[in-house]
Amino acid sequence: MEPLAPHEKIFVDSDIVEDENHGEIACHECHGGNPDDPNWKTAHKGVVKDPTYPDATSACGDCHDEINEHYPKSLHVSLRPYKLITDARANPNAVVRNKLGCAMNAHCYQCHSSCGQCHISRPNSVEGGFLDGHLFQKKPPMQEVCTACHGARVEKEYFGENEGTQPSIHRQKYMKCDKCHTGEEMHGDGKEYANRYEVENGPKCLDCHKEIYDREAKNVIAHRIHKDKASCHVCHAQPYKNCSACHVGKDKNGLPFYKSKAAWLDFKIGLNPLKSEKKPEKFVILRHANVDRHTFDFYVKDALSNFDALPTWKLATPHNVRLKTPQNSSCNACHGNESLFLLERDVEDAEKEANKGVIVPASMIPRKQKWQPK
Amino acid sequence: MKYLRYVCLLIISCLILILGNPLLVQAYEDTQCFICHTSAKKLIEITREIAKTRPAAKSAETEGEG
Repeated sequence: MEPLAPHEKIFVDSDIVEDENHGEIACHECHGGNPDDPNWKTAHKGVVKDPTYPDATSACGDCHDEINEHYPKSLHVSLRPYKLITDARANPNAVVRNKLGCAMNAHCYQCHSSCGQCHISRPNSVEGGFLDGHLFQKKPPMQEVCTACHGARVEKEYFGENEGTQPSIHRQKYMKCDKCHTGEEMHGDGKEYANRYEVENGPKCLDCHKEIYDREAKNVIAHRIHKDKASCHVCHAQPYKNCSACHVGKDKNGLPFYKSKAAWLDFKIGLNPLKSEKKPEKFVILRHANVDRHTFDFYVKDALSNFDALPTWKLATPHNVRLKTPQNSSCNACHGNESLFLLERDVEDAEKEANKGVIVPASMIPRKQKWQPK
Repeated sequence: MKYLRYVCLLIISCLILILGNPLLVQAYEDTQCFICHTSAKKLIEITREIAKTRPAAKSAETEGEG
């Protein structure tokens, strides 16, 4: 995303005074600084750029108390999955852990959101800047906020920008992110979740498509046969982006950098690493996560000494679903089609141990069908 | 007497409603923050001044996706 010009980022639309809810709040009440000082350098002493992170209480909490109460546990703010995943792989040595914590703070934990970075400005990860002259946006604009961060994967999938893929059917029906990902989900419900799939008010395909198991429904046989065996994405997703070998460090000017190998398009069905009552399917889509045994080597060697504790191919829900896909064109487009499944040969030697729980043994690939329903 | 009290209350309420908001707006608009941040010309001058002294905020070594 092209960043805004420096002055555009901080230009305030004077219409803000007409905002019946926020227009009477003076700038310094949230941001601090000295509103009477005509010298911009001294006037900005003590100014807080984003007064909503990490604690939004003083800026938003007075009026939006219920949202504010849950906000710290929203995954967009807490980044708890990052912490849990890294902890599981981390070296138990306290000195190493401390250095790993510094690296996480300098890199991974910079990628968070806040009230301000959804409703007022673009996220910091794309260099910020007001969305519309500091006018408050009840619904964050999709391409300036959501896909500003979720750009490499979700945006390209959803808009069909990956070579050889089509836009999601939901995109073609002009659905925006908030159609499935509600404000309630984004703001959190006060519970701490280990990953987004656990979030109770997160989106589920069946929220809208509950009729698929009805007797009269189209493709009811296929849906009933595969219920709890394969996730919706196994049949309805298209190839999606996979990343690997992320390495972080700081350049000669002390600025943090991120490097990863070239991403590749792939489609792999694997065993469900997060099988639960809520997500009972045996087969799911797996995406290679952008991680490596040596991700944090710049800061400390062997930081992820327990790297094999978790798979590097993780549960995925590509945002490019279509009604008809190559793999659901017939039973045998998928059954017996080894190329669709994550087999041992598809996984790098150094990651075989980590992925042993998600690799599909040849014996588990569904056999070709002699009979096929019309 | 009672009637007069109601009339006075009504007049005061109307005055608050009519004059209240513009008074607050006036105070808001008078701050240096508002004056400067609503002027593109001023912001261009200041941000150019800042750019001369502030080093790049992003490392040129970043590469790849994800």
